[in-house]
Amino acid sequence: MLETSKGCVAQADAWVPAPDPVCEMPPRLSRLREALLDAPYSLCSQKAELLTQWFRTHDPGPPLTRLLAPWHFALMRGAMTRNLAEGQPQTRLQLRASTALQRLYRGLDRDGEPLVVRFARGLAHVLEQMALTVYDDELIVGNLSSQRIGAPIHPDFGGVLLLPELRSLATRRVNPLRTSEEQIRRLEEEIFPYWFTRSVMARTPLHSSDPTLANTLVRGRDFLLTQFAGISHVTPDYPAVLSKGFTGILGDIEAARRRAPDAESQAFYQAAAICAQAAIRYGARWSRHLRAQSARQSDPARAAELADLAGIFERVPARPARSFHEALQSLFIAHVMVHQESFQHGVSFGRIDQYLYPYYARDVQAGALTRERAVELLGCFLGKAAEQLPLFNAMATEFFSGLSSASGLTLGGSDASGRDASNELTGTILQAYDFMRLRQPNLHLRLHDGSPLELRHLAMETLKKGGGMPGLFNDATIVPALERGGATSQDASDYAIVGCVEWGVPYKSFPAAGAAFVSLPAILDDVLHGRDAAAAGDQSSGRLHGGVASARFADMDALWAALREAMAARIRHAVDGNESIEAAHRLYRPTPMLSLIVGGCVESGRDVTAGGAHYDSTGMQGVGLADVADSLAAIERVVFEEKRASFSELVAAVDADFDGHEALRSRLQLKVAKYGEDVGAAERWAERVASAWCELVAGHRSGRGGNYAAGFWTMTTHVGFGRRLGALPSGRRRGQPLSDGISPTNGSDRRGPTASLAAAARVCGNGVANGLALNEKLDPWFVAGEAGTRMMDDLTRGYFRCGGQQVQYNVLDAATLLDAKLHPERHRGLVVRISGYSAYFNDLTDEMKDDIIARTAHAGPPSSCASGPVCQMPPRDSQ
Amino acid sequence: MSRRDRAVIFDVQRFSVHDGPGIRTVVFFKGCALDCAWCHNPEAVRPTPELTYWRDRCISGCRECVEVCPETALFDRIEARIAWSRCTHCGLCAQTCPADALVMVGREVGQRELLDEVVKDREFFATSGGGVTFSGGEPVLHSAFLGDFLPLARAEGLHLAIETCGGAPWELLEPLLPSLDLVLYDLKVMDTALHQRLTGKDNVQIHEVLRRLLARGIPVEVRMPVVPGHNTDDGNIRATAAFLTGLGVDRLSLLPYNHLWEAKLRALDTTRRPLGIRAPEPDFYRELESRFEASGIQPYR
Repeated sequence: MLETSKGCVAQADAWVPAPDPVCEMPPRLSRLREALLDAPYSLCSQKAELLTQWFRTHDPGPPLTRLLAPWHFALMRGAMTRNLAEGQPQTRLQLRASTALQRLYRGLDRDGEPLVVRFARGLAHVLEQMALTVYDDELIVGNLSSQRIGAPIHPDFGGVLLLPELRSLATRRVNPLRTSEEQIRRLEEEIFPYWFTRSVMARTPLHSSDPTLANTLVRGRDFLLTQFAGISHVTPDYPAVLSKGFTGILGDIEAARRRAPDAESQAFYQAAAICAQAAIRYGARWSRHLRAQSARQSDPARAAELADLAGIFERVPARPARSFHEALQSLFIAHVMVHQESFQHGVSFGRIDQYLYPYYARDVQAGALTRERAVELLGCFLGKAAEQLPLFNAMATEFFSGLSSASGLTLGGSDASGRDASNELTGTILQAYDFMRLRQPNLHLRLHDGSPLELRHLAMETLKKGGGMPGLFNDATIVPALERGGATSQDASDYAIVGCVEWGVPYKSFPAAGAAFVSLPAILDDVLHGRDAAAAGDQSSGRLHGGVASARFADMDALWAALREAMAARIRHAVDGNESIEAAHRLYRPTPMLSLIVGGCVESGRDVTAGGAHYDSTGMQGVGLADVADSLAAIERVVFEEKRASFSELVAAVDADFDGHEALRSRLQLKVAKYGEDVGAAERWAERVASAWCELVAGHRSGRGGNYAAGFWTMTTHVGFGRRLGALPSGRRRGQPLSDGISPTNGSDRRGPTASLAAAARVCGNGVANGLALNEKLDPWFVAGEAGTRMMDDLTRGYFRCGGQQVQYNVLDAATLLDAKLHPERHRGLVVRISGYSAYFNDLTDEMKDDIIARTAHAGPPSSCASGPVCQMPPRDSQ
Repeated sequence: MSRRDRAVIFDVQRFSVHDGPGIRTVVFFKGCALDCAWCHNPEAVRPTPELTYWRDRCISGCRECVEVCPETALFDRIEARIAWSRCTHCGLCAQTCPADALVMVGREVGQRELLDEVVKDREFFATSGGGVTFSGGEPVLHSAFLGDFLPLARAEGLHLAIETCGGAPWELLEPLLPSLDLVLYDLKVMDTALHQRLTGKDNVQIHEVLRRLLARGIPVEVRMPVVPGHNTDDGNIRATAAFLTGLGVDRLSLLPYNHLWEAKLRALDTTRRPLGIRAPEPDFYRELESRFEASGIQPYR
């Protein structure tokens, strides 16, 4: 039975038929959703304060450090403000002096308890002291931050980057955050001065061979390294929390500890045990709190709900979950604890329809759970997962617009034997999402040849209402990519999505998937101007007018060779910088709480930051693929084949941002087919650039022992990089956004969705180890009705048969978006797909709003042509 | 007139969802057997490639086209760029124009080249039950070319449809039938004299070809391009319904009228005049559909 027209959950024959489809949104979920949409965004410094409190008491630091640090801090604060807020580079002298002092502090560090143990004790203190708040209507509790919706600051990582902006956070135009005077005072006077000598941010320069890395990063033209903020981006082994409880995990730790070979792993096990015990106590704390809340509650129905929750916490997360409700609560509270340690980004849930199903099925079978109740519980869970924000400074807001914590949640797919793994819970979760429609978690749906038609159509129906979720992933092409990356076929077939689109083996990998973003067009720009890409980080943006330098390219082969070499150099530069950050994590900021629930760490006795996970990798994204492909195709055609402009003329036009070169710009833009039109040349270049990128990135190993993994997803870095880059030979003007993910540039998909999908499929492949994102925008009229649903499914399957790996559909009309830009208040809950994640439209920067609007809608208004392409532009001179 | 190895087409449009089942690629051939007053593709009538001029795209100050024209048919003024009387449609200016203001409509393709283009979306054909539709212009006029092409395309496993006005002789269509899965067949207006006046040709042969086609048992979808005020009166609806019923056909596709073709005229070397018909409201089609239903013909929706 498929009753999509009524919004009911569809049921495939292959699924267990659900007795009572839920058609109405439960009132509790409506109220929760409203409360979440109403809640203001706040800065949360709870973890920062509690962790600092513990450390200042137990680990105040050596006297000389305490003497020097305030003075150093005050000096650096000025330089940092100028650097971050005004873009003024720090001088080499400043940077060297600061690094020398950091080296001194490190040397002064006394031997005490191992660092990993100190951080475990610090976390235990946070869990003991953090506020517990139960909000109205909740059936799943836990607080990711101290506010309803909060952006926690992590001074032990890169929180100090916010220092220059703390006082303007509440009034900044994009994504303002509530702050308090007292909160800011503590951060400025107590918290930052303490961590200033020992955070990841502070100690990274001690491990970098590039003394001016900080300037390169703030310049934001060449590449971004994100892991100052924390590594995160992982799917913890939540299933183990559900099946064993922290008591069981503690047992594993103790067993492994007896076999521990050395002091280092002994320290790790000690820390892990402290964290597991803290987790158990945290559950008990919640139980007591809920019991007290229940007693104080005047509404007997609510009192009973709270008492039930108190009972649940008597059981979990300490011991194995027995019911669906216990499982969901245990899952969420584990998620909360992981986030009291590290940064809010990409901590993902894995295949929750798989590991929650036994609890669900058992309860349903026993008559203890109705479908309505399941939807209600899942809705509560999804609402909780939307309660946190990542904290971004102004620059990061530009590159990662939309405030997504990118917690991925994967549904569907096949099992190791290739059989369909979807079940009744798969559809129930989609139903719960459909009711909530919040910006996160990120819903991901795995598809394969055996995916039930009803499930596919339900996904399309869900997508048709806007919001861009679920993103769609192709098992047939992703599993081989993971196998090539070293996963066993059993593990590869169990893949789940971390964060936005990063495919990987869940529960036992540390993929560091969001580590680096590299602007590919910036590399091309350097090559065209004869700049040495390896030295680019060291120059203060002085542009060599290089008509002469670039005349050395006699043909495309010469240009390609230079570009490939420059890509390799840029990757080396970014890897070097990233390795220094990862070294700082490994040496100064282990994350034992996360490690004890990432498979491999307890077995190996090593923290995730030290390569303890079973699988390890580091993600590096290429940004602006289509711009480079289009530029190369344009140079090939106009300069080398048609010889309508010389190389020097082209570079001069690019340098002038095409002012006075309108005819040339028009020729580059219009007369050369773009990537996404599937005519040929641009796609060949895209393929070439993409495969070179994958190969060059994969040639590097991280200090944790894993390979670097290439990806093509951008979040909104394409806007930030674009703003900092001059014109390109594709005809793109200075400052314009680059293309996102593997999508064609805006306007270049004019030959319809099959052409752009087929083009995009050509850059997909086994080498893409860290995921990619393809945005397709579809007009609502076009996908209307059952025929539209089938069409979306046909397009998706066709793209997957071409070799496509991922696609996400934004079904929105431009008029709605334009109205939302003008009248944000009318579109409070309008969710749009950005990159591999979704966001409230209102949370985006203006540039990103415009970019979303500009993303081409395929096919115009319904063609009512008797025959022929009446509504189209006339065909142009094809190649 | 038709060659076996090459044909002039003016577009290969991918992702068409209105010209046969599923997702389709439509090949538009140039040259037509009729000359309808409302022709939606006026650039398709002439059998050879032709120049079009899109004034709005022209870059002021650019005179690259003026310099390459061997016939001195082009001038500096954007508003009066072309003297059509001198233009030989050689296309040199279109190659030069950086702005797509001067564009050639129509290009010669060979068998292999066209095949490469239409197979690009084969995976989408497979998932949607789609394929390739040959349209125009009048594709049957390219019978010699298609006679070789259709078996090639069929060997690729493609579902093949042709869209014809029936204005070409049966002898040209007949040899194509074994390779076709579907024929989309247009009926414009029933009154023979009116047909002659509006399309330049009477409909006797058109009706005869449809009769023969149906007798062959090949799937046929009959379609009527709606031209408000010209073929929407009760008389024509009743006559069309009676004709179809007589042939054993009980369904009809109504193709909505689109007035956008008039905007193309300015760009063409043509003496064709706008009809001045506005695109009707959706209610108009609902009403039209029910009138056909009342006459025993079920419109496709």
